[in-house]
Amino acid sequence: MIKLIEKIEGEAKLHFNFKENKIDFVDIEFMSTRNIENILKGKPAFDALVINPRVCGICGHAHLIATVKALEDCYDNLELSNKAKIIRELTLNFELIQNHFKWFYLTMLPLLGHKQQVLKATYPSQLMGKVIALFGGQYPHTSYAVVGGVVCEITEMDIIKLQHYIAQTTKFVEDNLLKFDSQSFLICKDVETALEYEGDLPDILKQIKNEGLLEHGKSYDRFIAFGENSYFKKGKSLKTKVNYNISVACVRESQEPSSFAKNVSFKDQYYEVGPLARAMINKSPLVMDAHKKYGDSIFSRILARVYEISQLLEHSSYLINDLDLKEPSYIEPSVNISQLSASGYSAVEAARGTLIHKVEIQMGVIKNYEIITPTQWNLSGGTKEKQGVSQKAMIGLSDIKTAQLVFKSFDVCSVCTTH
Amino acid sequence: MRVLWLSAITCNGNTHSFLNYPHMEQFLDDFEFIYHPVIDSSYMLEDIVSKVIPCDILLIEGAISKEFQRADVSVVEIIEKYSKIVQKIVTVGTCATFGGIFRESGYENTSGLHFDQDKPTANFEDLIDKTISISGCPVHPEVLVNTLYAIKKSTALQLDNFLRPKEFFAYTVHNGCTRNEYFEYKIDNHQFGELEGCMFYDHGCQAPFTHGSCNKILWNEVNSKTRAGLSCLGCTEPTFPKQNLFATKKNMAIPENLPIGVGKRTYLTLAGITKAFKIDRLEKKLFDD
Repeated sequence: MIKLIEKIEGEAKLHFNFKENKIDFVDIEFMSTRNIENILKGKPAFDALVINPRVCGICGHAHLIATVKALEDCYDNLELSNKAKIIRELTLNFELIQNHFKWFYLTMLPLLGHKQQVLKATYPSQLMGKVIALFGGQYPHTSYAVVGGVVCEITEMDIIKLQHYIAQTTKFVEDNLLKFDSQSFLICKDVETALEYEGDLPDILKQIKNEGLLEHGKSYDRFIAFGENSYFKKGKSLKTKVNYNISVACVRESQEPSSFAKNVSFKDQYYEVGPLARAMINKSPLVMDAHKKYGDSIFSRILARVYEISQLLEHSSYLINDLDLKEPSYIEPSVNISQLSASGYSAVEAARGTLIHKVEIQMGVIKNYEIITPTQWNLSGGTKEKQGVSQKAMIGLSDIKTAQLVFKSFDVCSVCTTH
Repeated sequence: MRVLWLSAITCNGNTHSFLNYPHMEQFLDDFEFIYHPVIDSSYMLEDIVSKVIPCDILLIEGAISKEFQRADVSVVEIIEKYSKIVQKIVTVGTCATFGGIFRESGYENTSGLHFDQDKPTANFEDLIDKTISISGCPVHPEVLVNTLYAIKKSTALQLDNFLRPKEFFAYTVHNGCTRNEYFEYKIDNHQFGELEGCMFYDHGCQAPFTHGSCNKILWNEVNSKTRAGLSCLGCTEPTFPKQNLFATKKNMAIPENLPIGVGKRTYLTLAGITKAFKIDRLEKKLFDD
């Protein structure tokens, strides 16, 4: 049976095979591509800073940051101020947060039988858009991060505005998602305690428990993240055993015959990426507790993603304190890009997980560009013998509605996958 | 009013830009989506493509090619079907209007609905009277929504040659830029990362010859690219994306593209005069003594 899955920033087709009324295998098909990697070939390297945010409307900022880092990796001894690094990290955090609000209120609630809450999605995500615009001029689709730093200069007044936006978003979290103070949420180590509270998140998690959905969505319990920054760690986790020594060189992309999406593996194995992966690698106590009790199920996946909103809001307010406004926002590279022939890569944590960009330039012109998106990791389509992460998570379910819930718990992004 | 939001070859950037419209509650009371890529709607995409659902406005996001399908049906077929029943068609964003970035995505004859860059296309000629173009990559949410309200009120909008409402596109992006004084007095020592300076002379800013209201109706209600210090990339124009976007192309030290309506000789004369000014206030940092 074939089901068209809609409203995942595009669509995908899931081909379900049932055996004794249980899902036995799911083939995932993406029906189109936009050939961004080809569009980039032959273009001046800096133009990638304008083209690549257009990979995706909801996580384009991650593509900008990945692009600028990949281009900077082409230089030897490029200077970058700490201020520019912090500003870039802040705006990327804000993009992750806006994404998570949208996913929870627009995608997850309806799948669990509730009315979609458009305004609860747009209000906080607009606040996050405003902060990105404060630095980048607009959201979505700014190109404010350039090789050597960021184009904006910020003042004490911008910092005050920034703090207000963070405070206002935190207030929204405490009035709606949690109905308790986010400090208690952040230090909470026991998921059962968190469930005693009210609020949109505890309510949904309680519903999952009460409706017996706790076993749904389990996969390999294998996680990976490459995008290191001041908050996220690089590493892989296998049933809570974390190894921080991993290399992008072991990541492989391979063509799939039946779909426009390419498979991604690390040392020939499929890994889950995203907030749950990041929390497992960061050993975040509350998510670790949920994982200990309920494994890599939809319960843990939903908790991890929404928990990341509070984590990143708090971490961003700390990061602001590290900003030294006297530092330059931008330091002009000593080598002109038109004189540069080199290759570089980058890995950043986008809303849905690890995003990798690889670029090869010849005298400042793009010779080759490769993009590996988070959804490619989670939705790699394997064979029946060697299934991808989301494929495995749907095995054994008895109906397509639940399979759709599990599938969307990975926060699928079709446009990214089929860049 | 019933609205169909149809995605063709797109990044969904217009969809998410629309979600930044500040008065969403009021909008959703006044308009109903029969389909939207993110917001729940009464119909599934499969219903939209297989039946004809009553609808008043067709919004098209993304570049258009016959070869590109949505739910196994060519977007061209879907457009043809709904264009017959709707009052108005709005091309949302630069891809749907001119082809934009995804004009190069490799599908057969990819273009905007009525324009392939600046050239008119023959495909949907009969629909031209129904169409309004709202270009921009992405579309500005207030420009889109206010145009929809104008349709709802049956307001006769004045359109430019690319079918864009003059109300928004008669302005240039340069209008209202906070860096205008640096442009006027030709202080051309701009560096990225500074509050001061104008990006027109060296960093490829296209604001003086790009139509749009970015500095009149601010983005996310707070800022614009040029105010932040990023060059205008010309994203509302048929030529988007040009190449070498962060550098100003010059011939004999004169920018190749001059402000709209300004001739080369007049520009040179004006530049000569403005260079005669030595305005200490603008040569220095804004805040430091």
